[in-house]
Amino acid sequence: MPLVHVEHLQKRFRVAERGGGPLGALRRVISREGRGVREVAAVEDISFAIGRGEMVAYVGPNGAGKSTTIKMLTGILVPSGGSVVVDGLIPWRQRTMLAARIGVVFGQRTQLWWDLPLIESLRLLRHIYKVPEGRYREKLARLTDLLDLGPFLDRPVRQLSLGQRMRGDLAASLLHDPKILYLDEPTIGLDVVAKERIRTFLLDLNRREGVTVLLTTHDMADISRLCERMLIIDHGKLLYDGGVGAIAERYGGERRLVVDLAEDVAAPAVPGARLERREGTRLWLSFRREEIGAPALIAALTARYAIRDLTLEEPDIEAVVRRIYEEGLP
Amino acid sequence: MRLYLLLAGARLRGQTQYRVSFALQVASSFTSTFVELLALLILFRTFSSLGGWSVGEVAFLYGLASVSFALAELFGEGLEQASRMIREGEFDRVLTRPVAPLLQVLAADIQPRRIGRLAQGILALALAGRWTTIDWTPLKAALFIGAIASTAVVFLTVFLIGAAICFWTIESSEFQNIFTYGGTELASNPLQIYSRWLQGIFLYIVPLGLTTFYPAAHILAKPDPFGLPPFTPFLAPLVAALFLGLGLLIWGLGLRQYQSTGS
Repeated sequence: MPLVHVEHLQKRFRVAERGGGPLGALRRVISREGRGVREVAAVEDISFAIGRGEMVAYVGPNGAGKSTTIKMLTGILVPSGGSVVVDGLIPWRQRTMLAARIGVVFGQRTQLWWDLPLIESLRLLRHIYKVPEGRYREKLARLTDLLDLGPFLDRPVRQLSLGQRMRGDLAASLLHDPKILYLDEPTIGLDVVAKERIRTFLLDLNRREGVTVLLTTHDMADISRLCERMLIIDHGKLLYDGGVGAIAERYGGERRLVVDLAEDVAAPAVPGARLERREGTRLWLSFRREEIGAPALIAALTARYAIRDLTLEEPDIEAVVRRIYEEGLP
Repeated sequence: MRLYLLLAGARLRGQTQYRVSFALQVASSFTSTFVELLALLILFRTFSSLGGWSVGEVAFLYGLASVSFALAELFGEGLEQASRMIREGEFDRVLTRPVAPLLQVLAADIQPRRIGRLAQGILALALAGRWTTIDWTPLKAALFIGAIASTAVVFLTVFLIGAAICFWTIESSEFQNIFTYGGTELASNPLQIYSRWLQGIFLYIVPLGLTTFYPAAHILAKPDPFGLPPFTPFLAPLVAALFLGLGLLIWGLGLRQYQSTGS
């Protein structure tokens, strides 16, 4: 039995069209007539399953339905159709029971008490989640160590840097040993060092403690570093469910060879490769794996021209995902 | 309960970090509500009675309503914040925690500056004590305490319904202010001076009339202008409980309806 099981999930929102005039609001409250109610499907039809210990990326452009899905998985929203089961529970019906087994981090919104020292927030959460004192101390010591919270445990949250706050938020969401952790853009706005620190922590958490992680992010580096599997959604529908590496191979299509020629060539051409761009003696050639291999292409090039330098670029996920957003799956 | 104290205590500690502004808020709350009391006293320099009630008797009614409203504000501040929490999506967080949402909302904010109004209500009651001669019996004392508690519950329920309405409209509702601020105003004066439909609303819909006016009239031994049964003053706790039940029902329906905010 997978930990998360989603089948034909659907969520439609009723959106009231704004009636004009200062009395519009009142009229909308009082009468159902005279206000056009539109139905907007945020999630149309999504099915997937996540097994225990998996670390899965949930990706899609803004407004694709990512957050809405997560809100249904956590029980915040009631689905309009389909079914969700998380750890044997139906989230919206058994929300409180489920809440004790999941951790949620919204990157843009802290769950810590703004005016209180970080340690106080953690103490309050211990009571909210009813973590036994001994277990709490153990967990706190471990998280303090792994996330290096020591230097700012006693500082009010409003004075923390974004990176420190995010580390605090991660600790807060893990105190009660959740089985699954939902992360909504955990690295948003962080600098390179802070991002890397959080990624290392998450990898360690997943590998050592087997915590299942579902991660939404716009940062493709998060995905390639953390996840083996990704789900891509757009317009409320699942576009892709599979390996992160496989997607580049299957849909990435073109690899690219950057060539520095020793001398200027009028119209450089190599069979099997397409000249994508050219700047003086530097050429960008793109080619398909199935049409020509990199060694063959390089051999063909060196046979024709004098070459100073070569770089081979693999397609990055970002480009692939962008293409999928724009064109759909081939 | 313990969790409520912990959470509310945390909120208090957060607030008292800004000490100067805290002291200023208490002072300003006292002054602004004191002006109301002053207006009442000035009114009685011109008129000797209001609907057959003397200045001391009206001050008693006013004090009772004021103390109750202050208590409701003190503990219901979180409910006043709920509309903002719902609008800004902060309510999502409430729903990801294994604690009843209402408890979290109540504990989310507590405003000790409201003791300004409380002090002013107690002052009004003290004045009433000097200007009237109340024949206190244990039953009357119990009715007095019961009336304050019931009225506070009715006001809290108005806050609760006001917050619950945000689940549907995501618009802050002026509706609530009509019944809270309007309600204190109304509950502070003898009910018979108002128009019939206002009397009806505050007796049978938002039952402040039953939790303030009737108990006060009984304690002060004033005649009942509406001819309701003689046990009416003692219905206050029951009426407040029923009204609270209605409020909880609406809140529960609202929770089911919650749509969150986009992304």
